Amino acid sequence: MNAALFFNLLLNGVIEGLIIGLAALALNLVFAVARFPNTATGDIMTVGAYAGIAVQGLGISSTVLQMLAAVVVCMALCVVLYRLVFRRLQGRSMLAVLLASIGLAFIIRAAVFLIAGPEQRVFQIPLQRAIDIGGVALQPSMLWLAVTAFGCMAVVFAVLFLTPIGRRMRAVADNRALARTSGIDVDRVMVALWLLTGAVCGVAGMVLGINTVVMPENGWNILLPAFAAAVLGGVGSPVGAIVAGLALGIVQELSTPFVGFTYKIALSFVALIVILAIRPRGLFGAAVKVR
Amino acid sequence: MSANTIDRRRLLGAAGTGALLWAVGGAGPARAGEPFRIGALNPITGAGSLYGAGMQKAIIFSAEEVNAAGGAGGRMLEVFPEDSQTQPDAGVLAAKRLIEVKKVHAIMGTWSSGVALAVMPIQEAAGVIHMTSAGASIISTQDKKDLVYRFSTTGQRSGRAIASILAKDGVQRVATMAFNNASGRDITDGVKGAWTEMGRKLVAEVVYEPNRPSYRSELQRILAGKPEAIVLGAYVPDTTIIVREAWQLNAKVKFIGPGYAVSPKLVESLGPEVAQGLMAVDYVSALNGAAYTHFAERYRKVVGGDPADGFFAACAYDMVQVTALAIEAAGGSADNAAIAAKLREVANPPGTPVSSFAEGKALLKAGQKVNYEGASGPLDFDEHGDVRPLFKLSVIRKGQLEFRQMLDLK
Amino acid sequence: MLSYLVAIAIIGGIYSLLTLGLNLHYGFTGLINFGHVGFFALGAYASALLTLAGLPFAAGFAAAMLIAALVALPLGLLAIRLRDDYLAIVTLGFSEIIRIVITSEEWLTGGVQGLPGIPRPFGGLGVGGAEYAYLGLVVALNGLAFLLVHRLAASPFGRLIKAVRDNEVALVSLGKDPVGVKIRVFMIGAGLAGLAGALYAHYITYLSPEQVIPLVTFYVWMAMIIGGTGRNAGVVLGAGILVLILEGSRFVRDLFPGVLDTEMASIRLAIIGLCLVLFVLFRPRGLIGDGVER
Repeated sequence: MNAALFFNLLLNGVIEGLIIGLAALALNLVFAVARFPNTATGDIMTVGAYAGIAVQGLGISSTVLQMLAAVVVCMALCVVLYRLVFRRLQGRSMLAVLLASIGLAFIIRAAVFLIAGPEQRVFQIPLQRAIDIGGVALQPSMLWLAVTAFGCMAVVFAVLFLTPIGRRMRAVADNRALARTSGIDVDRVMVALWLLTGAVCGVAGMVLGINTVVMPENGWNILLPAFAAAVLGGVGSPVGAIVAGLALGIVQELSTPFVGFTYKIALSFVALIVILAIRPRGLFGAAVKVR
Repeated sequence: MSANTIDRRRLLGAAGTGALLWAVGGAGPARAGEPFRIGALNPITGAGSLYGAGMQKAIIFSAEEVNAAGGAGGRMLEVFPEDSQTQPDAGVLAAKRLIEVKKVHAIMGTWSSGVALAVMPIQEAAGVIHMTSAGASIISTQDKKDLVYRFSTTGQRSGRAIASILAKDGVQRVATMAFNNASGRDITDGVKGAWTEMGRKLVAEVVYEPNRPSYRSELQRILAGKPEAIVLGAYVPDTTIIVREAWQLNAKVKFIGPGYAVSPKLVESLGPEVAQGLMAVDYVSALNGAAYTHFAERYRKVVGGDPADGFFAACAYDMVQVTALAIEAAGGSADNAAIAAKLREVANPPGTPVSSFAEGKALLKAGQKVNYEGASGPLDFDEHGDVRPLFKLSVIRKGQLEFRQMLDLK
Repeated sequence: MLSYLVAIAIIGGIYSLLTLGLNLHYGFTGLINFGHVGFFALGAYASALLTLAGLPFAAGFAAAMLIAALVALPLGLLAIRLRDDYLAIVTLGFSEIIRIVITSEEWLTGGVQGLPGIPRPFGGLGVGGAEYAYLGLVVALNGLAFLLVHRLAASPFGRLIKAVRDNEVALVSLGKDPVGVKIRVFMIGAGLAGLAGALYAHYITYLSPEQVIPLVTFYVWMAMIIGGTGRNAGVVLGAGILVLILEGSRFVRDLFPGVLDTEMASIRLAIIGLCLVLFVLFRPRGLIGDGVER
């Protein structure tokens, strides 16, 4: 492998990794505090992307405004899901909530299909040519992607570790019963959690939609690698989610000269299994105590 | 509605009471005047849903036309619509229902290879005619009873058409990118086969897994071979992303793909600047034929939309017309095998070219030979029961798909 | 009509066998397996390839069970060390790895072109007879699996299984080996899924990677949740209801012609989703569960 190929693959891995990492970030929050793998995450992201498309359809071409709409819609959707379903399942087994989230994922996807139809939509964003540096293609849009992903991560980190509501979230994550007895309004904390999750889903859905095309199955398709990144990053670690997403993306792309392009998507699961066999709690699993 | 059109409730009742009386499928000789029952097994939902509804409607209005002309060989046609869900297991259950419950004589309009291949054992065992527009080459060889007829072509042949166009254009360096499924791979395999026969080699080839956030690494691998043209065995979403990323990477390369990928939807998604110069190779309906003109008019009215997008519906329309001609030629009491045996006789030369069942019926009655020239093409079946289709090449200029040339692959 | 019902019953029986296996995993040991379709795929391809190579059906079925069970061994060893939620994701990933291997190893599996012409047993009985015989086989194997699970549950080993599920710590302090128990149960359940795969392959006679997607696993979970975990009769009932939902849309099309056509797939998906959510919320034990709240 020559240097140019190596760096190209590395950069491609970074792009894919950041997209996956954002989805993993949304998974990770719920994983840590509400304690289940939220299978509906991908489909909530899809709804966000369609919200952005709808705003574009109104003639508003500002990506920032489109993203704002995606964020608001996803926040609202998450709170509705919490109020209608997840709150009623508090105290039930992880499996019960997981199964409910699969059901919700199906319902949301079916609704998107019925409302928006199967045809693809795209965000009309002017394309920029890559800058060629010694055979390495530098994509200007990558900068925006990185700023968005790390910005999102920083916001989530700040909310979790620097604000009173974040402190309460972590308390609930550590021990819900104890948190309740020490006077924390768990319901309010959970609403805050779902609002934050929704915001991340909105951003993640928009980022995915801008980089690819918007279709009803978009979010669902990215769910499995995002799951791998979320587990690998370790529950409750926003930095871990992004870093694990990056790591998986980079490993995946760098592996292609050796394993080819069809096996690369199996690689994130192989990596997941190997690492969990060695460290059952994930890479950053010890960063925040969960149980 | 005329008396000849299908009354669903009556049919349901008949099927319900009649079903238990017969043991196994409608393979025996027909009783004189017994309706010829057609199972329209189309991909209404799932991956083929863009085409399924149009195909089903075309089968129904095609059968209505036959009935309006007095039926074939004294038999009226009845259509029973079903959804294959573009899934083999759902297709099997639907075929079971059609053959066992509805007692159909023919299954028409299977679209994906998986469904066609899964339906075939049941249909062959029951002695039912099967007309498909699926692409997999193995369908031809799996048909042991000569009951399966293919109205579109294999992806391999599309690939060969693409290769011959590139060769004619003087392109030397060709690479392929394939979506990892049967249709995608068939196209690029066809290109590779034809290219190898010309004594040349592909400069690069990649098979990619779908539904990825990016195909940049795949593309860079291809571009490293410095191709002049990249053949895509792809669909609209992945083509959108690949062409966009190629533009971003400043790739000076031609893309050529199947018409269902390089489509107006793609142009709309990419914008005229990025889409400029993309080439589409498509099966072509017999644009100048009387059958196509008639079909296109009915398609606009019944299905809606541009009949140019309705190639598979045109195939489905022809399935009914040509079968009706075969029934007429075989006589009212012929069984399915005898009807199938007449298909080549009414569709292939020699014979007076006809563009509809009604036209052909009169000639057959007068004892003449006919050669049906369909809406989907000249419709001549080879020894496998496959047709040899026409292709057309279009190029995107200023956001419009411009017709370039027709291509008849011998 | 009868023959169509036979076909539905065969598909239902295959799902029922899959659900019995999953029920053994979860209902009896609490192991959360979201990679069930992986074992199904292994069994389907194993039996298809062996019989295509000329081996008898019995050998194909035996190999299907054996291979699925053997692959379950390392996965089970990993599984018991993991938290529930990680386990769900790891098993899901496992089934995706199986699917990707099937897609990629064309020399063996035919890759995306699939495997056509898989032999079907009972060819000598004629078309109708073969169908009934196949249904008989599916029912018999379900009965055997039913009995096996039942006997397992009633045996000393079964009491151990239940004990593992209910209180693992106490069991360890009694000097029992819950790890060994769990793994053996995991392998048996996987074997049942492999058998279901073999039955599927020889009935549909065509296999492709598109038929072994995670959605199948979710269907089986739904069947188990509707029927009720931990009790076999509930499992069979759940599989029946699942097939009713999947196949019922054909009758809906007959009753309301023209409408709903292309939306049908979405409506089916929504109904399945709704079933999952509503049963989890309001009837967590399923229609006939064993009464243990989980």
